[in-house]
Amino acid sequence: MGKLLFILFFVAAPVFAGDELHLYNWNNYIAPETVDRFEAYCKCRVVQDYYSDNEELLAKLAAGAKGYDILVPTGNALASLIRQGALLPLDRKLVPNLKNINPAYLDTAFDPGNRYSAPYAYTTTLIGYNVEKMKQLGLPTDTWAVIFDPKYLARVKGRVTVLDSQRELMAAALKYLGYSANDTDEAHWYSAEKLILRAKPYWAAFNASSYIKELTVGNIWLVHGYSNDMFQARMDARAAKRKFTIGFSLPKEGAVLALDNMVIHKYAPRPDLAHKFINFMLDGKNSSELTNMLGSGNPNLAALKYVDPEIASNPAIFPGKESKLEMLQDLDMEKRRVLNRLWIKIKIE
Amino acid sequence: MTRNIGKWLISGPPVFYLAVFFVIPTFIMVLASFRHAGEFGGLAPIFLHDVRGAHLNLTLESYREYFSDFIYSRLFIKTLIYALVTTFFCLVTAYPLALLIAGSEKRHRDLLVLLVILPFWSNFLIRIYAWMIILGPQSALSVGLNGFLGMFGIEPVGLLFTPFAVVLCLIYVQLPFMVLPLYANLEKHDPALLDAAQDLGANSWQRFWRITFPLSLPGVYAGIALVFIPVLGIFAVPDILGGTGGIMIGNLIKQEFLEARDWPFGSALSIILTLGALCIVGVAAMVAGRTVKNDA
Repeated sequence: MGKLLFILFFVAAPVFAGDELHLYNWNNYIAPETVDRFEAYCKCRVVQDYYSDNEELLAKLAAGAKGYDILVPTGNALASLIRQGALLPLDRKLVPNLKNINPAYLDTAFDPGNRYSAPYAYTTTLIGYNVEKMKQLGLPTDTWAVIFDPKYLARVKGRVTVLDSQRELMAAALKYLGYSANDTDEAHWYSAEKLILRAKPYWAAFNASSYIKELTVGNIWLVHGYSNDMFQARMDARAAKRKFTIGFSLPKEGAVLALDNMVIHKYAPRPDLAHKFINFMLDGKNSSELTNMLGSGNPNLAALKYVDPEIASNPAIFPGKESKLEMLQDLDMEKRRVLNRLWIKIKIE
Repeated sequence: MTRNIGKWLISGPPVFYLAVFFVIPTFIMVLASFRHAGEFGGLAPIFLHDVRGAHLNLTLESYREYFSDFIYSRLFIKTLIYALVTTFFCLVTAYPLALLIAGSEKRHRDLLVLLVILPFWSNFLIRIYAWMIILGPQSALSVGLNGFLGMFGIEPVGLLFTPFAVVLCLIYVQLPFMVLPLYANLEKHDPALLDAAQDLGANSWQRFWRITFPLSLPGVYAGIALVFIPVLGIFAVPDILGGTGGIMIGNLIKQEFLEARDWPFGSALSIILTLGALCIVGVAAMVAGRTVKNDA
């Protein structure tokens, strides 16, 4: 066996010589079988590097990182990269599969006319919960009130986590108060701050990473988090044969939708391979593999017929038109400072 | 002369290393703290060009921001308290251990020291995540403690996501840094001194306070410095184990560089932290110097 691998290595090596696509992507955000098929198709090697949030991506590029072909930023980070002139425009002739994308996800405010970006997948920020506990405690699961209103929170004190993210938590509070997630009126921000401070004593933690596990093992019963993570928590709980199930749903007041996009970095060593990759990922079958693996939302209409029916029929993953979703816009420096100071107060009080 | 050249050749690389990777970055950070933030993060240009020509684009805004609201100083004080508590408990738990190792038979000592260092063989973050399980509501520790409290009719308490969890883990993480310098010092003590004290009628308590402890002070100071200063800047422990009020100054600095994309303010906070730590260490060294002199 070892000998065989050894021989294979030498036979295979010349095929890959030199041709490499450098993909700088979110952690665990592409199906391994998709990568294998792309490598076979382009006769190249995909070299992956990972980030865990947009800030990390922006900070790394701002510090001068080079050598990446493809990046997968979320809407507001995309806008920021475009304004910095950090991206190469897409050559439309090389990405005919862009026609597969649902027009609702094209021509966003972040990249009007999709000059630079092709939609990849999306997540929503919503509430996830332990279905049995919610029923037992008589708590609603279709409203942000369950995260913010002490009337409900008193029943789940210490069993709730919210995202450790200024923008996401603020957006949820603003939505609950009936404002836009992108509202920049400081008076509205202060009422959101009040709301958060009133609810805070009932929360266990601000958490953006371990809530999946805490939900899966039953320590935490109610979380504010991302749809992909909730899907994973549900699958993990099922695989571990827990006595409870994990549910997640979009609050009726609306929520944040984050659309991740494939773009080509200005200093991409191989724009040709990058275009090939984008077109390949826009193919329905290839695109569906990510959704089936992660439960991520899919903007690709051609992918829907390959998506697992359990996922396709979940309104939290494929939301209806009435679901009042908003994408977060980038804030300017001055607003960022105001929000940041407000956030520090929230965390220290 | 040739001996001097040899010294320079040997000490050259580390000096060069420190200059390139410590002194220069520190100056960059000092400069950054006086600059304006760039619109997309990073820094605004240092020179502005207009009709009057180029002029420097520097500001005191980041420092003004720090002093404009007491909230930042409050976080700083809270961090100091965490660091002091951690250092205190490290000292009182590490001292007996170091004494025990130094007093044990020579052939066992290396093994015991190795056991102290052993946790470093597994990753720092994995060890912190392990505490999440140990302190979680379904852990034996939590269940046992709450069962015990329940016997006295006391409400069950949560251990995870509390300041207690943060400080407990900080002590755990920093403990070896206290044990090692203490051991290195205690091991060198001449046992004849204790024999002499005993011959002169000192009981074991007096022997410890009049002989062992004063002689071990350099080890104590080294241990305090090794524990106290890193704790001031730590952010991973409060991130993972801290609850809704768990952040420390390190979390704020990280937040300024990543989420808020405000490099100048993040740099200013780092510098204030460094200066604050230097002041504390300076005062402590002065006090320590005086006590040592008085004893002598």
